[in-house]
Amino acid sequence: MDILLGSIASGILLGMVLSLVALGLTVIFGLMDIVNFAHGEFLMIGMYTGLLTAQATGLDPLLTLPLAAGIGFLLGVLCYGGFVKYLLRGPMIAQLLGTFGLMLVLRNIALLFFGSEDRALHHGLLVGKSFDVGMGIIISATKLAVAVLAVLSFVGVWLLMNRTKLGKALTATALNRQGARYMGIPTERMNALAWGIGGATVTIAGALIVNFWSVNPYVGLIFTMIAFTVVALGGFGSVPGAFFAGLVVGFIMEIPGFWDFFAITFNISWMDAVPMTSFKYTWIYVSYFVIMLISPRGLFGWKQ
Amino acid sequence: MEAIRNALDFSDFPRIDRMVALAVVLLLVTFPLFPHSAFAMATMIQFLMFSLYGMGWNTIGGYGGQVDLGKAQYVGIGAYTTTVCLLRWDIPFWVSMPLGACLSIGWSFIIGYPLFQLKGHYFAIATIATSLVLKDIFEVWKFVGAARGLGILPFKYQTPDFLRLIFKEDVYYYYTIFGLFIIGLLYMNWFRKSRLGFQLRSIKDNEEVARSLGINVHWAKIKTYAIATAFVSVVGSFHAVYVKNIEPEDTMSLDISILIALMAMLGGAGSLWGPIIGAGVLIPLKSYLKEWLGAAAGLVGIDLILYGLIIMIISAFEPRGLWGIVEKIRRRKRI
Amino acid sequence: MRRSLKCARLLMGITLLTALACTGAVMAEEIKIGVLFPLTGGAAAAGRELRSGAELALDIANNAMPDINMTMAKNVGIKSMGGAKITLIFKDHEGNPTLGADLAKKLILDDKVHGLMGAYHSSVTKAVSAVAEQYGIPLINDSSTSPELTKQGYKWFWRTTPHDVYFTKDLFEFLKGMTEGKVKGLAAVPKKDITNLASACEKTEWGAAVSELIEKFGKDYGFEVKKSILYAAKATDLSSEVRSLIAVKPDAMLFASYTSDAILMMKTLKDQKAAPKLLWGQNAGFEVPEFVSTLGDTTVGSLTRTVFIPKIAQVKPVAAKINAMYKAKTGNDLSGASARSFTGLQAWVHVLEKAGSVKPADIQKAANAIEIPGDELVVPWQGIKFAASGEDIGQNTLGMGLIGQYQKAADGKIDLEIVYPFNVATANMIYPFPKF
Repeated sequence: MDILLGSIASGILLGMVLSLVALGLTVIFGLMDIVNFAHGEFLMIGMYTGLLTAQATGLDPLLTLPLAAGIGFLLGVLCYGGFVKYLLRGPMIAQLLGTFGLMLVLRNIALLFFGSEDRALHHGLLVGKSFDVGMGIIISATKLAVAVLAVLSFVGVWLLMNRTKLGKALTATALNRQGARYMGIPTERMNALAWGIGGATVTIAGALIVNFWSVNPYVGLIFTMIAFTVVALGGFGSVPGAFFAGLVVGFIMEIPGFWDFFAITFNISWMDAVPMTSFKYTWIYVSYFVIMLISPRGLFGWKQ
Repeated sequence: MEAIRNALDFSDFPRIDRMVALAVVLLLVTFPLFPHSAFAMATMIQFLMFSLYGMGWNTIGGYGGQVDLGKAQYVGIGAYTTTVCLLRWDIPFWVSMPLGACLSIGWSFIIGYPLFQLKGHYFAIATIATSLVLKDIFEVWKFVGAARGLGILPFKYQTPDFLRLIFKEDVYYYYTIFGLFIIGLLYMNWFRKSRLGFQLRSIKDNEEVARSLGINVHWAKIKTYAIATAFVSVVGSFHAVYVKNIEPEDTMSLDISILIALMAMLGGAGSLWGPIIGAGVLIPLKSYLKEWLGAAAGLVGIDLILYGLIIMIISAFEPRGLWGIVEKIRRRKRI
Repeated sequence: MRRSLKCARLLMGITLLTALACTGAVMAEEIKIGVLFPLTGGAAAAGRELRSGAELALDIANNAMPDINMTMAKNVGIKSMGGAKITLIFKDHEGNPTLGADLAKKLILDDKVHGLMGAYHSSVTKAVSAVAEQYGIPLINDSSTSPELTKQGYKWFWRTTPHDVYFTKDLFEFLKGMTEGKVKGLAAVPKKDITNLASACEKTEWGAAVSELIEKFGKDYGFEVKKSILYAAKATDLSSEVRSLIAVKPDAMLFASYTSDAILMMKTLKDQKAAPKLLWGQNAGFEVPEFVSTLGDTTVGSLTRTVFIPKIAQVKPVAAKINAMYKAKTGNDLSGASARSFTGLQAWVHVLEKAGSVKPADIQKAANAIEIPGDELVVPWQGIKFAASGEDIGQNTLGMGLIGQYQKAADGKIDLEIVYPFNVATANMIYPFPKF
């Protein structure tokens, strides 16, 4: 029972972390039909930002979050203005390839400057602290912080999209760019803003994630895949969808835990022998595939 | 007969193209006669391998317009089939290679059917997903050595062994892959003029129109995917006997899939020369930059930064690749 | 466009060829040894250690340092070859076997090395040794411990370090000793207290072999391995692995981890409030200086097998001398990695001295015949003597391992203390493992 509860708790926490990672992707996708393969690399840059500022200044990444958000916003806007804008003119194949190129460049710039070693934050306000709630539920402070941040970000982005004039302009751009331009909405600036928001949300996620996961220049890809799955499940472009889909994916990542629960509780020896932890990411890929086949629009998709 | 004549017929290319192609082929044939380092030799073999990978990718990705980023799984199937056959049952390369291709094609039908329900980005990501799932399975599958991989021990065989394709000198490998390269090139020359080739181009232009013309779009895509798969799998088998050390992390990683797609896209997707130009530029660039800048100067990663930048520029300004630039210049001259 | 590209490539090739032709001329008094280490990648910290250790040994071999009690320190270069000096050509294999094999081939064919050394990761060593065997170039392995490597009957492969069969056996001897009260400062522990084991090993050649050995020896010694997990050393997250370990409530957790994953593992264990009574690491990641410097007090009480612990300096004057030199050079004490790469190159020097030429056949003959006495080594072995035949061909038969425990000294510094072999133990053992 302990194992089950522990897994559920950690699935929820992990799910919130993942939904924050995917938030930026869904915002960008909702606004323009472009899939950003460099999304995980934005996260990686966020992780390095958190790590390096913490190491340089001795401040916890929690305190330097605004800096990370700023860097992410700038990065997003720069990427849009300097590069993605031109991609949108070309065919879909060029967009895919282009963001792939962006991914390679960002990844290898990180490799050039930071080296290929895994690095992580080992000291800080939250590192290594965890609350034992009992019944096997252990909540680590680091993950809790990201979860709280995730809720705040989602509420923030949702309010921005639905309760402000700016959000209305964003939505209008998403629905009909031509029309929006005629209404006097600066669509180029709206697109850049979406990239900025996308970049900022993912870098703050990264800045806090470095508290509990280690970072190397290659870390981005797995998060890109996870973010794609979350966004696909939630429906490309849907903000609340991404949140709930994140929770579901969190549970998918915890499949090894549930497996252990059954294996140990019912003492099933063949289950014990399956190296389930080796498959922890496999289920993500499988679920992406299945979701896309069954329901291409995901849970809350609103855009064809 | 008709097919062979078609494959050998390059007459629809301008004269200059044919001359350059002939010169390149002659250069490739005579390359081992020049004094060369093992490093240059390895680079050339890599170039030929990736040209072939790129040609395979070009069928579905270039002519068909379906961005496939999961080709590494077929490199893996080909490589593993050859290695496992050789190590367990001593089956020679020339038997295990077609066997691997058959297995790859079988697997491509199984996943191709659902895959091609998807379009665009969704398809591209799904191909990545399938490739990574297969890699995860190979990483725990004891029969194929799990994550430890398999190694072919070359000194256990009498070299040169033309049946099992175990050699000590790289020059044998060079001519083997060169032979495959020529066959691949001729096949592609036939393919682009074949019925399926034309069907694909019409699918790429507009799927709805293609369907209304009576083309079975789904089936045409699956068939082409199988062809692409066979190419990749054959080169995968060759990869196994050439590097002699197979593990999932290396042969089935996403990086391989990306590289394969890049070759064709950079050179010019949907043109016969595209993948060869792409590989001819990227592979030497990659290995020499790495040798000069990476290890020696301690600038790890600078080769791939340049690489990525080239891709970004190409995709933003000339999505049809280097060949697209050549054609643009030509058109301008004609006007 | 197309033609100019091809031209450019040809030009590139020609430039390289000329460059190689110039460097290719072998000078008679130079002995080239290609060294493959993971200088970047997840084990880069260990790679730095290994490189420094080899460079220190090179320095001692190429220069006369009469105050060091080692044969190789006595004269300049290799005496039997008229004072020929050794050059090391370092290559970085990033922990990737295919790359390692490729580099080995280039070292042999393009750089024309006379011998090879490396490559730390057992998976890489396996691939490299196949290349060395094919081309008939001697390879002395200093730090890869998968037993498989010497079981293949290679004629061009020698290994100085003891392998994991020795080390894993040591572990179970140690556990057995605990139940019999042989451990310094510890009363006999009832066997039922430490009978449940769980292991997590990295999944390539080395870790997978260790995992199998733990299962095998566990059965032989009457312990129960409740769970054995294989994980990717490149993983950025190990929380589900750790939860899976904790789920079986093991008394002892056993690990085989490279550098960054060892640190991540400890951090995650702490995060999840794991409470094993024993925590043991199969050296590698558990003994690089970064392990202590990043984790600090968390490491206190954890055990690691190793071949070198700075405390050896108290009983071995040679070790003290070399350790001091190493510390002056790098700022760290010698570790299991650097001590072994030092010893590996030392073995090379002895082999070359005995061979008197750089011909592979002479080197092969010499390697099978050398005998280096234990008092010349920094590691606490009885010496180096390679098995010239038998099941473990090429294996050093005189090696042995240690088990150390991280303990906090009075001055707050965390040091490795020897707890096994029992007769050379330097401190009382901390048991059970303090809670995180």
